[in-house]
Amino acid sequence: MSDASLTKFRSAREETPLARYALIAVAVLGLGVLVAAPLIAVFVEALAQGWLAAVASLGNHDAASAIKLTLLIAGVSVPLNAAFGIAAAWFITKFDFRGKAFLITLIDLPFSVSPVVAGLCIVLMFGTNSLVGGWLVASGYPIVFALPGIVLATMFVTFPFVARELIPVMIEQGRAEEEAALTLGASGWRTFWTVTLPNIRWALLYGVLLCNARAMGEFGAVAVVSGKIRGQTATMPITIEMLYNEYLSVAAFSMAAVLTLLALVTLMLKTALEIRHADALAATHRH
Amino acid sequence: MGKPLIHRSPMPGLGLSMGVTLTMLSLVVLLPIGALLWKGANFGISGIWDTVNRERVWAALFLSFRLSLFAALFNLVFGMILAWVLVRYRFAGRRLLDAAVDLPFALPTAVAGIALTALYAPNGALGSLAAEIGWKIAYTQWGIFVALVFVGLPFVTRTVQPVVEEIEAEVEEASATLGASRIYTLRRVVLPMLAPAALTGFALSLARAVGEYGSVIFIAGNIPLKTEIAPLLIVIQLEEFNYDAAAAIGIAMLLISFGMLLVINLIQVWSRRRIGYV
Repeated sequence: MSDASLTKFRSAREETPLARYALIAVAVLGLGVLVAAPLIAVFVEALAQGWLAAVASLGNHDAASAIKLTLLIAGVSVPLNAAFGIAAAWFITKFDFRGKAFLITLIDLPFSVSPVVAGLCIVLMFGTNSLVGGWLVASGYPIVFALPGIVLATMFVTFPFVARELIPVMIEQGRAEEEAALTLGASGWRTFWTVTLPNIRWALLYGVLLCNARAMGEFGAVAVVSGKIRGQTATMPITIEMLYNEYLSVAAFSMAAVLTLLALVTLMLKTALEIRHADALAATHRH
Repeated sequence: MGKPLIHRSPMPGLGLSMGVTLTMLSLVVLLPIGALLWKGANFGISGIWDTVNRERVWAALFLSFRLSLFAALFNLVFGMILAWVLVRYRFAGRRLLDAAVDLPFALPTAVAGIALTALYAPNGALGSLAAEIGWKIAYTQWGIFVALVFVGLPFVTRTVQPVVEEIEAEVEEASATLGASRIYTLRRVVLPMLAPAALTGFALSLARAVGEYGSVIFIAGNIPLKTEIAPLLIVIQLEEFNYDAAAAIGIAMLLISFGMLLVINLIQVWSRRRIGYV
């Protein structure tokens, strides 16, 4: 077989060079305008009056309390969702029961509900006008316009993240390794810690990473339940809105820049996981 | 006797994992959604209809669903091009481009909102360019469209990409050997294989756009009847402590979204059956 025929055979899967360059140009230009430009805009606006102004705007009391609140909310809701994700993935992949597909649909439900509607649901459930909420407020444990409501809203919108990463990975790995450990006399917990967890740790980390990014950045659901009390229930995204609406552009974009840096770190870690631990992630993330 | 509800299994932790799963699912997702439906049931169908059947509400619902559809269609085409380019072509910066696709997932919506507004406002970097040809983007429906395209961007690419990777070389080669042109092969052989995954991405992108709030409200201008989206209307009702009206609009949005997802699922089942490729 000569080289010429080989080249010709290969080109059956390729577009003409002109079409190829045109498509690459469309992709680069499209992502440039849609993704890179807003990214650059955040930093340009934040630094419009120089570094000092940007950093100073983050130092005031309200900004500091917003940053603390956001970290606290992520610190509570992400571990809870991770625990849920592990439990749900274990239940769904290690046991056979009727209604499994329906259960998975229910877990995915928050993805097709608007964050604003999610917040609305929590207000209706726990607000002062509701049965449960009225009793809780009377007992001194308000949920809405307070920390628990923000945590609940955040958990609602990030609910499927960890479970969705773990379920396909655990289906693929099967039950044989756990069964072997159990046959050899290991306890259930020991089997989980020494057999299952090492197998799913990268997928778990991947899910936690995405869950955390969304938890720290959630706006719609939190806007509805938080009451936007400055210094108390205003998270970083809510504070960005308040500053922006007060025409404090540098302060708004400086805080936005902090969240943007977080997003960039998330993306870098995520890409690193996809490259280094591709075989331990769900098939859709291997590229 | 039918199948047992739960098969017996030697695996430990049934009670614990089932308990945690069902308790948290109920507490975080099902009970709050139930509270919304309960509120709606008390309010009654006629009450919901009277709330929704107003010019301002119809305008907001129509605007939200129409622009979401346009944005999802744009993302369908652009996402498929992107998936194809990222899998099939090798060029400098491909990895960077691949990672950049996920930025809309990682960037908080409020940040995206103010960044897009700064960019497309009449005095912004891209907005001033558009203004020269008399094209207003921010504070018009175009602005909402741009924001919805941004938030829905990754879905189609991420669902189609793995399918493009799986396409066997033989399939396209056979088509070419039988005399099909490249365009014909792409249209009649490759595209049908990508269709179910692309449709899934389209549905996800649509669902996301319909409910989107954070990235839209800054750039939209929020003028009633013109650039006011449905989720904003819920927030306005809540700020006026008008819980019945907020619940009514919320239920209308839920019903329309689920209806759309159902239709898309049916199309998907139909296309899988017709094409015979999963």
